[in-house]
Amino acid sequence: MGMRVTNEQAETAAAACVASVMDRYGGADVVATVEHHSNDFKMPFVRIHAPPQHWVALAKTLRFDLGANYCSMVTGTHFPDGGEDRGWDVVYHLMRQPVTNQKPHTNTVHVAEKLTGNDIPLEFEVIITLPQTDVPSVPSVQSIWVGADWNEKETWDLVGIKFEGHENMHRVLNPHDSPEGFHPLQKQHKIRYHDFNEMYDDAQGFGRKPTDEGRVK
Amino acid sequence: MAQMWITMGPQHPMTHGLWTLRVKVDGETVVDTDAELGYIHRGVEKIAEARDFTQITPYCDRLCYVSAMTWANSYIYAAEDLLEVDVPERAEYIRLISAECQRLASHLMWLGAYGPDIGSLTLMTWCMRDREMFLDLLQELGGSRMHYNYPRVGGVKRDIPVGFADRLIAKVKLFEKRIEEYEMMLDESTIWLVRLQGVGYAKAEDMVNAGVSGPNIRAAGVNYDVRWAHPYSVYDQVDWEPAVEKPTSVKGADCYDRYRVRMEEMRQSCRMILDAIEKIPGGKNTNYASGDAMILAKAPTRAPEGATGFSHYECTRGASQFYIKGGGDGRGKNPYRLSIRSPMFITIPYVAKTMIGYKVADIPAIMGSFDPCIGETDR
Repeated sequence: MGMRVTNEQAETAAAACVASVMDRYGGADVVATVEHHSNDFKMPFVRIHAPPQHWVALAKTLRFDLGANYCSMVTGTHFPDGGEDRGWDVVYHLMRQPVTNQKPHTNTVHVAEKLTGNDIPLEFEVIITLPQTDVPSVPSVQSIWVGADWNEKETWDLVGIKFEGHENMHRVLNPHDSPEGFHPLQKQHKIRYHDFNEMYDDAQGFGRKPTDEGRVK
Repeated sequence: MAQMWITMGPQHPMTHGLWTLRVKVDGETVVDTDAELGYIHRGVEKIAEARDFTQITPYCDRLCYVSAMTWANSYIYAAEDLLEVDVPERAEYIRLISAECQRLASHLMWLGAYGPDIGSLTLMTWCMRDREMFLDLLQELGGSRMHYNYPRVGGVKRDIPVGFADRLIAKVKLFEKRIEEYEMMLDESTIWLVRLQGVGYAKAEDMVNAGVSGPNIRAAGVNYDVRWAHPYSVYDQVDWEPAVEKPTSVKGADCYDRYRVRMEEMRQSCRMILDAIEKIPGGKNTNYASGDAMILAKAPTRAPEGATGFSHYECTRGASQFYIKGGGDGRGKNPYRLSIRSPMFITIPYVAKTMIGYKVADIPAIMGSFDPCIGETDR
């Protein structure tokens, strides 16, 4: 039979991480909670709201004390209608993976049910909310996780979040000669037929015109 | 000796797609590398903001044209997290079987493409022959050979056809024997060993730190697998264990370990499929009508603002992830933001750096052993 990490294990691990984060950063506007996915197994994960000025310190704690050794995804989002306090957010998804270097001719075969402490795989979601601004910026964690390097490049390229301290920032998915300040996932850029009703009404494309004129590009 | 930059790609056979590897060489030795991606960036994340949750599935199929089913499933699990849907167990079994068939087809495509990289052109024809069996099976489910659009939010599009189970079992049992044929041909082949052993070392901790995942990690000696670490579907109910290798050097896994772990993974997929088809609730030879509660749960079509959905998924090339924010256009019918984490987008820059110190002739062997796919890389 296959194995899996049980909810109790993940629950214990998540609670321990939340307690540890709140103990150190609770006074500094950092809020950590245990949340649950709503599909399948209702697995718990750790959600942390952090202000940008504490992000690097928090990242070091997560990486070196709580074992989040894997920076899997960085998501930037633009909220033009989000109000004064919430113009952008950056979400880091981190994972804890029980992976270590192996001696020659040996391997580690984990049995999920028997993992304890910092070996239990766990998911962290760190949300950094930024105020309404034209130049959103977050400190880079490129030096803490190598994996954050290209994720941050992509987030700057597509969303336009500036990562302070990121070395060798350049376009990765857009062409290298894209105009400065062009970040296609910002919400002022509309794709044609953005409104789905418009798309259905003109499924044949008869009403299609070169409507790029006057649009913000 | 003078150093110079060589551009490999975007049309080089080593790339397995469209991207450029710029290599700085000193004689025959690689001293620096630089990866350039984005040649087939299609803006799926932006397009998804103008589509409702069902319409996004075909775009996710096309993220990776070699393993469409796993990518569509990966998206569907995130959408189900967002929309709070419980999936019927029969549908989960069908998804598991379809995803594992796709894994076999994808690994065969990898092996078939890797053979010519090394110089064994025969391998391509062998692998294409066997891959066809699994494409036929997937075609029975989804109706098309490569892009199936098969999973739905809350279940699957249609039930397995009558007779599918028998054909599946026969083909998987045949393929289990074929894996042995491949191993007889390759495992001790001198060319294979000379080109693969001692090349492209990668340590487990370095790879995790750099964001590499999936079979490449397991080749380095740790059985970490999303299917048990962040469980989804019914992998805890079927008989399997993650494939894992014993690397032979302190320097980590070499190309040969990565080849071995994928062969073992194919064997595990076969084992999983054969077990799952027997355990499927409702019976393997029944065929429920489309939309039956056994295979499709009712799902809401709108997600409120502030709701988020997230999925981990063990794709064929590593861990893929989707992150969806609800509350977009059409009063929540569209996602506000859909973010895709592609395992290969992170892996390719890492692999480019691991080539430093090896010879130019080793580049195809190293790159191919990590199984790059550019469709998902560029999105």
